[in-house]
Amino acid sequence: MKNKKREISEENIKKSGKLPQEIGAELKSRGITEADIYVSVRTDMDLNCDFTPGWLILTKGKKLISATADPLSGEIHFFKGMETRKSRTVARDRKWNFAEFDVSDLKNAYVERSVSGGFLILVHKDVNDPEAEGLAETAAAVSNHCMSGATKIERLCEKIIDGKEIDEEALEDDEEEEFCPVCGMMYPDSDRKVCPKCMNKKSIFRRTLGYLKPYKWRILVMFLCYLATAALNIIWPYLNGVVLYDRVLGKDEKFLSFLSVESNRFAVILLLIVLTMVMTKITMQLVGILQGVMTAKIVPRVVKSMRNDVFGAMGKLSINFFTSKQTGSLMTRVMSDSDEVSGFFIDGLPYFLINVFSIIAMAVVMFRLSWPLAIVALMFMPITFLVSWFMLPRLWHRYGRRHRATRSLNSKIHDNLSGARVVKAFGQEGSEVRRFDKSNEKVRSADLAVMNYDNKFSALYSAAENLASLMVYIVGAYLILIQKRFDYPILITFAGYVGQMTGPMDFMSFFFRWFTNCMNSAQRMFEIIDAVPEIQEKENAISLEQIEGTVEMKNVTFGYEKNKPVLKNINLKVEGGHMLGIVGRSGAGKTTIVNLISRLYDPQEGTVTLDGVNLKDLSFKTLRGNVAMVSQETYMFMGTVAENIAYARKDASRAEIIRAAVLASAHDFICRMPDGYDTIIGSSGRDLSGGERQRISIARAILANPKILILDEATAAVDTETEQAIQQSINMLIKGRTTISIAHRLSTLRDADSLIVIDEGKIAEQGTHEELLKQKGVYYKLKELQTKALALKGIE
Amino acid sequence: MGLKNFEGADEEFNLEQMEAETEAMLRLRYLNAENATFARTPGGFVSLDIVGEADAVSPEHYDRVRVVRSFPFTAPDTYISISTTEEKSKEIGIIKDITKDVSKETRKMLEEQMNLRYFTPIITKINDIKEEYGHAYWDVDTNEGPCRFVIYMNSSSVVSLSDVRLMVTDLDGNRFEIPDYTRLSAGELKKLDLFL
Repeated sequence: MKNKKREISEENIKKSGKLPQEIGAELKSRGITEADIYVSVRTDMDLNCDFTPGWLILTKGKKLISATADPLSGEIHFFKGMETRKSRTVARDRKWNFAEFDVSDLKNAYVERSVSGGFLILVHKDVNDPEAEGLAETAAAVSNHCMSGATKIERLCEKIIDGKEIDEEALEDDEEEEFCPVCGMMYPDSDRKVCPKCMNKKSIFRRTLGYLKPYKWRILVMFLCYLATAALNIIWPYLNGVVLYDRVLGKDEKFLSFLSVESNRFAVILLLIVLTMVMTKITMQLVGILQGVMTAKIVPRVVKSMRNDVFGAMGKLSINFFTSKQTGSLMTRVMSDSDEVSGFFIDGLPYFLINVFSIIAMAVVMFRLSWPLAIVALMFMPITFLVSWFMLPRLWHRYGRRHRATRSLNSKIHDNLSGARVVKAFGQEGSEVRRFDKSNEKVRSADLAVMNYDNKFSALYSAAENLASLMVYIVGAYLILIQKRFDYPILITFAGYVGQMTGPMDFMSFFFRWFTNCMNSAQRMFEIIDAVPEIQEKENAISLEQIEGTVEMKNVTFGYEKNKPVLKNINLKVEGGHMLGIVGRSGAGKTTIVNLISRLYDPQEGTVTLDGVNLKDLSFKTLRGNVAMVSQETYMFMGTVAENIAYARKDASRAEIIRAAVLASAHDFICRMPDGYDTIIGSSGRDLSGGERQRISIARAILANPKILILDEATAAVDTETEQAIQQSINMLIKGRTTISIAHRLSTLRDADSLIVIDEGKIAEQGTHEELLKQKGVYYKLKELQTKALALKGIE
Repeated sequence: MGLKNFEGADEEFNLEQMEAETEAMLRLRYLNAENATFARTPGGFVSLDIVGEADAVSPEHYDRVRVVRSFPFTAPDTYISISTTEEKSKEIGIIKDITKDVSKETRKMLEEQMNLRYFTPIITKINDIKEEYGHAYWDVDTNEGPCRFVIYMNSSSVVSLSDVRLMVTDLDGNRFEIPDYTRLSAGELKKLDLFL
């Protein structure tokens, strides 16, 4: 999508031509035709914050026209996730109000945010009327639902005011299709173009089956086990009822001759039957064990291969994916999703088939034995089914609530214990206990609700169960006594079947829910596996053998979110082997610049080049092999010190590792540790101080031997003395490399060949130390603050 | 250090001025009917003139000010912060109690501004809440007309502001308020039960 070339096309203009007729007519009367419209966006409020449909229209004649319908009482307002294409259409006979603004007469146009929406505010400039200078007025109001449209108008107006060309990129429809093409519902999560109602369960199902394919023979065995269990389950009541009571205890001679046993030898036959019954039970157990073993063998393997696929796919994804809000939930879900999916396919699905088979088989047997009784039994069966169908979800809700309450209690405890110092220092133990008690109380009531409902459920369920068998007994007794249709043993068999049928019925009541959950899990998994990384290596990407290290940014504009540019039109160039210092207050966009240079993100506008080659055309091997970063957040992986230093070059020899450590002045403290370079560090290992970690990460960068080195506040978190030491290591490190260094302390940047000052995403000042000091601007002020102000107080 | 080479420009650096700036940053100024005059602007906003400040260099005038509540949930009428309107706005002053410290007209004017800023529909009736696949679909009546919206099923979507007051935030961050959930009908409470 993003790399597609865009040309100004008629189509794009037509796309925005979905205005209601009344607006079209009004525009025409103002001499504006469809072709004159740059862009039109929806609004959903009038200036008094009453919900009502509206439009903002920007024309090529630099006019901004706002149209709002008069609010209708009782009109339903749809927000994200509920809105459909249909609900977006506006009825014909509405009264519209129009306002027109001349964008070229504006000084400024911006969206002022309110708590759940915003106002597009226009600030006029003095054209002829000095009164108008600085006059601000509101052009439109929107809720957050229509915010993206309002910010788009803001952006375009800004461009017009700055006298810039409006290119096609700026006009492009931000909201790609936000509706499910099948049911017309808006996607609940616009990052995930998946309609939970209409997702293709069939293809997901088939794809998941693919994971089971390698184990098809084992699964067949497992299936046979299930089948055998089901068959034995059906035989059991028959053995127990008809055979034992009717044939043996009822002294059926025919049965003896059928088994070719001498007449009257009922003791023998009894022994035989009992043996058969024992064997049946034993076989059932054995089959159960076999099936358990099979499950244990298959499930972990399937889960493992699913997780491997998901993790492998995640590694390829862009950094954006990991910083997006939902990552946390995605990560944990990856783990539980694979469990859920394989569990369903290996446990749920075969069991479902067997249950269907059992129910049908039992029903057939029952009808063969006595149809009136079978009808009675089957009539009451659905009661238990309905009870669980209705009550189980509600029970789960209560369990969910208890789970949430417990979790919140846990986090309270965690909060309190990790803040123990503060609690004690301010003497707040008492109030903490009260706070805890409040959460604890919530857990108690949630717990109570669960138990209450659970009891209700069990009582009702067993009542329904008992009712069914009671009815079978009553009707059965009636049939035996009055109608003399059959004998007592049949009734025993029947009761056995009724008892056995509730299990499968119960299973069916939650099977479908299980199925949808599983499909949803599988969908989420495949989404990650199929995700196309935003940052991709081009086909036939250019590999450079030897690089100079000249980095250049041309007209770069970038924002982590599309509507909020963090960097605006940045131009900078660092010659190979030179050092560039970046200064600016926090949040100004310094780190964003280095993120773009290491291509963790691609710029939205403009280009970043390395030796004149666009980073987008460069192979990952060239790029990642030549760029290394030492940042303020050092990350130590679990492993030894040596492994951590050699993270980027696993083949490094011990001599090289030591050399790098010496250069980073880390060798001494590493040798002081009991296990030297073999000391285990990282999350489970030895704690290192900030300075030590920093030096190890510098050693890591030295060993990687990059042509381009990025230092992102590498010394911000350490004390002055350590900083001096680290600074020396860095001085070793930057020799012969292109270095881009971000720092708060200007002393860190004293060797920089040139400096830039970033302010609010723009380059405010640029030049050498001397040039910047002469400008007497931000840099000068900073420098004076850091040297002079401290000196006056007699600190330096 | 290396920067000492550039100490040629000492005279221009005025430490006192900087310290004064810092002090101004740390000052808390209360506005009231005596020292502050608010007026409506033709564009529908509010302008501010500050008079009678003892240490004022010149009378202060602001074409347009932003009116913000310091405690929007717990004390909407007190500590109203008046600030400038640019992106990194600075506070001009605080109105301690809007019901006492300013005239009725001013209060009305400022409240109009705040009502727009804190616009939040109040849920009067819950028609339906349906949970599906990690989202909850709400169908409600509000004082701003019937609304249908969707929230994520996580703890931050429905927040209790007090023992009875709830704030609901939809997928886009639009807010809806339930001022007192105990006053909802039994049927509505049952639908809401999941979030309490």
